[in-house]
Amino acid sequence: MAGKPDKNVAQEVLRLRFSQMIVNQGNKDKQFKCPVHLAFGHEAIAVAVSACMKDKDGLLLTHRNIHYNLARSRSLKKKIDEYLCKETGEAAGQLGCMNLYNQDAGVLYTSSILGNQIAVAAGVALGNRVKKTNGVAIVVIGDGAIEEGVFYESLIMMRTYRLPALIIVENNGWSLATQIHERRCDIKLDLQASSLSIPYYHLEGNDVYGYIRLLEEAHSKALTDETPVIVEVALHTLGDWVMKTEEHSAGKYINYHAGAAPNVGLLNWPVIEESDFDPVHVLKKHFEPDFLEKLAGKVFADLREELA
Amino acid sequence: MNYIAQINALIRSRVAEESPLVMFGQNIAAGSCIGGLTKGLKSEGGRYVLNTPNCENTLVGTGFGLMLNGVSSIFFMKQQDFLLLGIDQLVNTYNIMRCRKIENSFTIVNVIVDSGYEGPQSSLNNFYDFCSIARIPGYAVSNKHDSEVIIGKHLIAPGFRIIGISQRLCRQELLQVEEGVSYDKNAEVFQYSDGKDLTVVCFNYSFPQGLALCNDFKKHHLNAALFSVNAMLPVDWRKILDNVKRTNKLVVLDDSKSVNSPAQHFIIAAQQEIVPGNLIYLSRKNEDLILGPNADLFSVDHKAVMSKLGFTSK
Repeated sequence: MAGKPDKNVAQEVLRLRFSQMIVNQGNKDKQFKCPVHLAFGHEAIAVAVSACMKDKDGLLLTHRNIHYNLARSRSLKKKIDEYLCKETGEAAGQLGCMNLYNQDAGVLYTSSILGNQIAVAAGVALGNRVKKTNGVAIVVIGDGAIEEGVFYESLIMMRTYRLPALIIVENNGWSLATQIHERRCDIKLDLQASSLSIPYYHLEGNDVYGYIRLLEEAHSKALTDETPVIVEVALHTLGDWVMKTEEHSAGKYINYHAGAAPNVGLLNWPVIEESDFDPVHVLKKHFEPDFLEKLAGKVFADLREELA
Repeated sequence: MNYIAQINALIRSRVAEESPLVMFGQNIAAGSCIGGLTKGLKSEGGRYVLNTPNCENTLVGTGFGLMLNGVSSIFFMKQQDFLLLGIDQLVNTYNIMRCRKIENSFTIVNVIVDSGYEGPQSSLNNFYDFCSIARIPGYAVSNKHDSEVIIGKHLIAPGFRIIGISQRLCRQELLQVEEGVSYDKNAEVFQYSDGKDLTVVCFNYSFPQGLALCNDFKKHHLNAALFSVNAMLPVDWRKILDNVKRTNKLVVLDDSKSVNSPAQHFIIAAQQEIVPGNLIYLSRKNEDLILGPNADLFSVDHKAVMSKLGFTSK
């Protein structure tokens, strides 16, 4: 890797991980009135998107938005208060978790309806064109949303009017409790993009530094070529578990979707899985373990201080 | 001047005052320009006219996205039926937008296909249902007076609303009355005449039937107070109810196919003010709903109304 990696980026990945682990404890204790969809394993893409965002850009999110909201506005306490529907919450307790946005932090809109936000993103991008701002509409969706008609419609709309946009497709292979092969035919997103003359990028491996480089390139392409750009991110939502039931005495695999991840605790070194599926583990490619553990200690201490 | 020419002229006049503004929809600057509705709209002076792809769900979302980004817009739609494809945006996106302080305008102007002979799938006359689903402000436009006020006041104003145009009225001569017309501050209820003998209240696009009924009554020396409720959601009925108290005879007309009409709310309120039997409610019954191509007329039998209210021909 050229140059020394920015330790602040690693610190952000750790902050998002610890923050979610703290929220997960609240989920386990059934503290929250609102359903919370955690995003363990999604930290690298969220930190990278936030790092690439410029002042005029706007971010539009899904129901699984905690990682982006944490990346864009730092206060964990305000998030937790929002999930508790308190007036001290980030949106004064008016939005809860699945629709949480924060315009001051560049998060313009969040939808809990599959694919809904990509149509709104088309309008935001068209507004940038009308106002002649140099902004990019950055919209995050999941692999389930690309099955919706609105995804195709919105790509056509964005491409027809040459609207600068980044469409981040977080492909975790699941929609609720069904995997892709259990619910639909294969969709080759690169070919779909190509059929509409839309540039396509594929990211995998959870290397936040590599993600930032590619996203900067995609962002630049969106603006200079005046085009939507699709960025498909292969990732694994961590927090799954095996549950024994009468029907499955050997144990049934449960994919994490929402609520508590029962096997994820609050650890000093917050790795959930020792593999490239885990963005925290991948940080070891850039830093010595001792350094990371010290950094993790500082991040955790700061969060505890905030919540004290 | 006919109805659609009047509406087109009013739209052109109003949009000329606004910039930036995005006007978009399918075929809005091609062919007949939606039967003349959008004829003459031009991209100039910070106004943009976009002939869009056929993607209604995204187009509704686009209007909200523009609003989110501080740009006002109008989405013109040839048939309200097509708006069914955008219901998610009408409900879910609008529910988020209405939580915000909104300074920009997003209006959907669509044609209600109430003209008949279109077939089972293109005869949706259920404007009330679209508005009810998320309590969306909506306005029906029927004549010279209400079109001037509603387009002037609501076409471009902070917030979101739907304005409906009647396809049946499009080629007809513009209806107008001689007497002074009054309306409430939100342009939701219009009064076209005052009278001591009975009260006629029109819902949806039944104003032509109501006006014809009142004119016929006049021939028999009976003076009716004529109201039209242009709003798609229940409104403040007090002014109409005060009139009903005086006349003690009420005819309610509703040509929509919706069972979710504010006419029902009005009747519940009116029943407190009137002698039972002095209220006639004329609407489309299940047995009137023929799904094959047909004239789809909403007819009012004037003689039957007169007789039922105890009036005799003079």
